[in-house]
Amino acid sequence: MALLEMKNIRKSFGDLEVIRDISLRVDEGEVLSIIGPSGSGKSTMLRCAAMLETIDSGEIWYMGERAAWADGHGGLHYPKKAELKKVRSYFGLVFQNFNLFPHFSVIKNITDAPIHNQKRDRDEVYAEAKELLAKMGLSDKADAYPCQLSGGQCQRVAIARALALNPKILYFDEPTSALDPELTGEVLKVIKSLADLHIAMVIVTHEMNFAREISDHVMFMDKGIVEVEGSAESVFNTDNARMRAFLGKLRH
Amino acid sequence: MSFQVMMMQLGQGMLKSMGIFFLTLLFSLPLGLLVALCRMSKSGILRTIMRVYISIMRGTPLMLQLLAVYFGPYYLFGAKLGKNWRFSAIIIAFAVNYAAYFAEIYRSGIGSMPAGQYEAARLLGYSKSGTFLRIIFPQVIKRILPAITNEVITLIKDTSLSFSLAYAEMFTIAKQIAAKETSFMPFLAAALFYYVFNALVAFAMERIEKAMNYYSA
Amino acid sequence: MKKRVLAGVLSAAMAVSMSFTMTYAGETETVSEAEAAANADGLATEGKFVVGFDAEYPPYGYMDDNGDYTGFDLELAQAVCDLEGWELVKTPIDWDSKDMELNSGNIDCIWNGFTMNGREDSYTFSVPYVNNSQVIVTADDSGINSLADLAGKTVGVQADSAALALLSKDGDQADLAETFGDLQQFADYNTAFTELMAGSLDAVAIDIGVAQYQINGRDGYKILDEYLNAEQYAVGFKKGNTALCDTVNKDLKTLLDNGTFDKIAKKYEGQGVDPTMLCLRESFGEASTEASTEAETEA
Repeated sequence: MALLEMKNIRKSFGDLEVIRDISLRVDEGEVLSIIGPSGSGKSTMLRCAAMLETIDSGEIWYMGERAAWADGHGGLHYPKKAELKKVRSYFGLVFQNFNLFPHFSVIKNITDAPIHNQKRDRDEVYAEAKELLAKMGLSDKADAYPCQLSGGQCQRVAIARALALNPKILYFDEPTSALDPELTGEVLKVIKSLADLHIAMVIVTHEMNFAREISDHVMFMDKGIVEVEGSAESVFNTDNARMRAFLGKLRH
Repeated sequence: MSFQVMMMQLGQGMLKSMGIFFLTLLFSLPLGLLVALCRMSKSGILRTIMRVYISIMRGTPLMLQLLAVYFGPYYLFGAKLGKNWRFSAIIIAFAVNYAAYFAEIYRSGIGSMPAGQYEAARLLGYSKSGTFLRIIFPQVIKRILPAITNEVITLIKDTSLSFSLAYAEMFTIAKQIAAKETSFMPFLAAALFYYVFNALVAFAMERIEKAMNYYSA
Repeated sequence: MKKRVLAGVLSAAMAVSMSFTMTYAGETETVSEAEAAANADGLATEGKFVVGFDAEYPPYGYMDDNGDYTGFDLELAQAVCDLEGWELVKTPIDWDSKDMELNSGNIDCIWNGFTMNGREDSYTFSVPYVNNSQVIVTADDSGINSLADLAGKTVGVQADSAALALLSKDGDQADLAETFGDLQQFADYNTAFTELMAGSLDAVAIDIGVAQYQINGRDGYKILDEYLNAEQYAVGFKKGNTALCDTVNKDLKTLLDNGTFDKIAKKYEGQGVDPTMLCLRESFGEASTEASTEAETEA
């Protein structure tokens, strides 16, 4: 059973069609990377999966159940309150610019949602949060505020925050793009450690070497369509002209 | 009139001024938030009503609003005005007027919050009210505090407009003593009272702002 | 909450409609509703005599050395209450709002050096008790010695006062006002006298009693010998409230007969209530004390 399945997704902003009939599928323990030039629609695809954007047509399935669909003629079905809550509990999202809550300490950023929204036991949540922080190498920052942390540290807190809700699948929306180059390493290391634990992930990224190393499956998108997809090796060694041009540009 | 009696009288007037001040804040701060939320609501009718309300409150003199609230019930409905209506009318007029100003401050504060905060909260499972109360509003308060302080300090001085309803707050008393003494001394003393009260409020607001400085957005 | 919002919107509507009402309240309003007051004695609240007064109007109504409201008029009102067993409620009002206060029933009467002449159509008045005059006050060294000297000068007058009515277009002294350089309105006498001192006003048109009180408290002012008019003070009731008016008239007669009126007047003699100004006796058809003595002698 697929954790996430997106079928024939289309999405426009005004006259601009940013996603033109794309489908994808993520199974348990699988890592999917979506790469491509800026404006190719890869972030939008992820935001559609996270239901931050509505689709114009297509279907979104979670855990083998159809969660949302649109027929392309104005008919739009998104889950209502209780159902939506369940669907959202399947995934977590790590934003490009973290979106930590600045008025909460690090530990509160991580624990507030499980305690208030999942109504879980406070002590248990705190214990788990401390473990997560230890994994992120941030044990000493529990009581710090986001403004006192570096970008890399913030992003690791954001990952811990997403993990604290125990999602089945984790989305990363260009997780290192807002970071200074010397800080990207520490974040990528954390994501890699998650991959090693076989947590399913969809990663939108510009880090080609990282994508190549970590991914089970890679999609190369350009102008709203999938140009190439397949195993990491096959995509990075493809003859596709656009992919080659894209990689060539990156090298310079 | 001896100096002590004058200061005593002004002091009693000051207490009444402070009464207006605190009651106005007590009602207008929450009311302003409600107005701001209605002003930003999905309902176009509600939005329009609030826009008109705010523009009238900001576009007409507060003194005229005081008269309107006080005498309005009689002129509109022929209602007999009770003895306590004078004070109630003052509080209502001030609260309704200041709520309009506060509403615009709240609105600018809420509008300045980055969309990412809402998105993060949504994905973390916060309900609409939970998002507002736990995530957005606490940050908004910090952002708007300087603007609120401005209004609060203006309010202290605006309480003196109650003289137009001859309510015995400090300015009214000062005018009466000045008339009796044929002297401007009482105004000087009144100015001192206002200044000291203002200084205390400014100090308190500064402390609150400092207390919110534990993080920077 | 919703109600309050509604009230806000409403008050705006009120503000608009009221500003219209107020513009011509002076002339036309009031005659309209002569609704009978709630109680047989004409009081809005049984047993309570609510007197509206300008607390910045010594010697008729002001704050005394102890911070209590007093004055010639308020003491008279107290004496009336003593006779009737009423409780006197002294309610300071903003002079500009006196009509609204009276018509809305907030106060039972205006008793505060209130000139009746020219206002007969708008209020029900008691018998007059003080002969007042509107006079001109200037600085000793102003060089103004007669009404004619006021030509081209800036003259101050209290908003909505009898002096203003006199000097306005249809007033008895409209011609005189024509000669002024400027006629400036002010809110209270304290400001006016300061302006006089500072030179932004050359003269102030004012009630004689108030003028005397003000001059007692300051140096360097004089009252011109030529008066603007002769007029009378009376207690003003809401138009049509004759029940209350009759009661007060009857009580004033009693106070005159038992000497209370003269006793109170005596107290304020040095503060602007000159014995020659009192006219309550004449109001009840009696000659003044001296005159009546002479008459008896002749007879």
